[in-house]
Amino acid sequence: MTFAGLPYNTLVVAVGVAAVGFAAGVVGSLCVLRKRSLVGDAAAHATLVGVAGAFLATGRRDLATLLVGALAAAVAGLAALLLVRRFTRTRDDAATAIVIGVSFGLGIALVSGLPAWGYADSAGLEQFLLGHTAALTAADAVLLTGVACVATIVVSLLFKEATLVAFDAAFAAATGWPVLVIDAVIVGLVAVMVVAGLPAVGAVLVTALVVIPPVAARAWTDRMGTMLLLAGMMGLVAAVVGVVVSAAWPGLATGPLVVLAAAAIFGISFVAAPERGWIARRLRSVTRNA
Amino acid sequence: MSHAGVDRGQEGSRAGGPPLVEFHDVTVAYGRRPVIWNVDLEIDAACLFGIIGPNGAGKSTLLKAALGLVPMVGGSVRFFGRPLREVRSRVGYVPQRETVDWDFPVNVMDVVLMGTYGRLGWFRRPGIRERQLARDSLDRVGLADLAGRQIGRLSGGQQQRVFLARALAQQADVYLLDEPMAGVDMRSQEQIFRVLAELKAEGRLVVVVHHDLRTAAEWFDRVALVDMRLVAAGPTAVVLTPENLQRTYAGHIDVLEELGRAVATRGRTP
Repeated sequence: MTFAGLPYNTLVVAVGVAAVGFAAGVVGSLCVLRKRSLVGDAAAHATLVGVAGAFLATGRRDLATLLVGALAAAVAGLAALLLVRRFTRTRDDAATAIVIGVSFGLGIALVSGLPAWGYADSAGLEQFLLGHTAALTAADAVLLTGVACVATIVVSLLFKEATLVAFDAAFAAATGWPVLVIDAVIVGLVAVMVVAGLPAVGAVLVTALVVIPPVAARAWTDRMGTMLLLAGMMGLVAAVVGVVVSAAWPGLATGPLVVLAAAAIFGISFVAAPERGWIARRLRSVTRNA
Repeated sequence: MSHAGVDRGQEGSRAGGPPLVEFHDVTVAYGRRPVIWNVDLEIDAACLFGIIGPNGAGKSTLLKAALGLVPMVGGSVRFFGRPLREVRSRVGYVPQRETVDWDFPVNVMDVVLMGTYGRLGWFRRPGIRERQLARDSLDRVGLADLAGRQIGRLSGGQQQRVFLARALAQQADVYLLDEPMAGVDMRSQEQIFRVLAELKAEGRLVVVVHHDLRTAAEWFDRVALVDMRLVAAGPTAVVLTPENLQRTYAGHIDVLEELGRAVATRGRTP
């Protein structure tokens, strides 16, 4: 069975990855507005250790197992970030860079070392580096869709609370809201979406799916709710473009294509958006000076 | 001092009950550097209360400590004789304007509605009642026409009034305001002051961290002079003496001129 020239499996995978792209844009919007854009990057680079660790611990290589390991590693990476910041008096950006570098180095060492250490069946794990959707099954796509739906629902439930904390954490705390808990939920959702984006986009680039669509969406709207929806749609489009193009040219990894599609959307937004776009600002300054 | 405020039917709004706000031996440190030492202060009646002192004197820190936003090394703060967590909905807060990103994608109405979130609790969204309350609050600060405007497209004074309206929507009995007049145009200053005077007339306590000595003498019924320690507290006319100001601002040469002007205008309230 085919649709628009695409095999059935590609179609199902495209739906799953589209759902992930949507949820990543929605969750990423909260993260970007909370000024925590690099959190996703730290979580993403730590995931490889978890993928390799889950394989070593269980001997299995089905997607669910590997992603649970990736999520555990992402959370551990974020915990390491907090600890480095707290106990070494390292500044935020430096601490993030350290965690990214160390965890990613460890992940690469494990994934590339496994075959040499006699784990011949570990082949394929390195595809989590840049993303490779051709290997995904329909069941994998269902899993990814489920995760994306849950993340989106959590955001819609906590929209009010997350907006408050992202806008004015001091006021939120003063009026009795547990800012740490709400922040933890936001960061936790980012970790989940980074992990869900892993199979399609890969550890190196998945953070782009969390950051680029929200920033592009912000250019088009001044309303938080609209921004989340728009970022979701942009993430969805980028994901679908990546999957379809990489399916058409088997040599291409999906991740870079997804990110390039997102970057194109960002470029268009930056230039053409009303009010905040480059053309609109140019026109305004011309009319002012006329 | 007048106790003409309406009896709100709750303890603490008039003399005789526990103080509205009570700082007991409050000490706050950032890292190892103490910024507030052993402050004891009681405010026992609705009034306009100014916390005055030089830059870096710890005035804002004192407010933040009272709200639990910075940890205290020692001491305690009670509202209506109770710890804050039991009476949070009765304490309103206006943070400094620069503490938030005004490019945030929300409009004026969204921000004012945030004042109702504390009462709404988890998951419940603001409804018709909350929207009406937010509109009334915006009306009181003179911004009813701007409800739909993105907050970045407001003047500094308008932004400050949005923050005040958000606090009004909290419907609190004690209000804590952190430098509400900083960087604000005259018209907004007057409007803000008028609202604060209304709150006092309704029997609420309004505590304002303030840096401008000239207006302090005019606006506040009572003041506390703070320079890391509490220098003096009481009725404005009694506290704002040249000696007290000297002790508060000693070493702050840049404000000596202002000090002279404040002393000259002291007591000349309209």
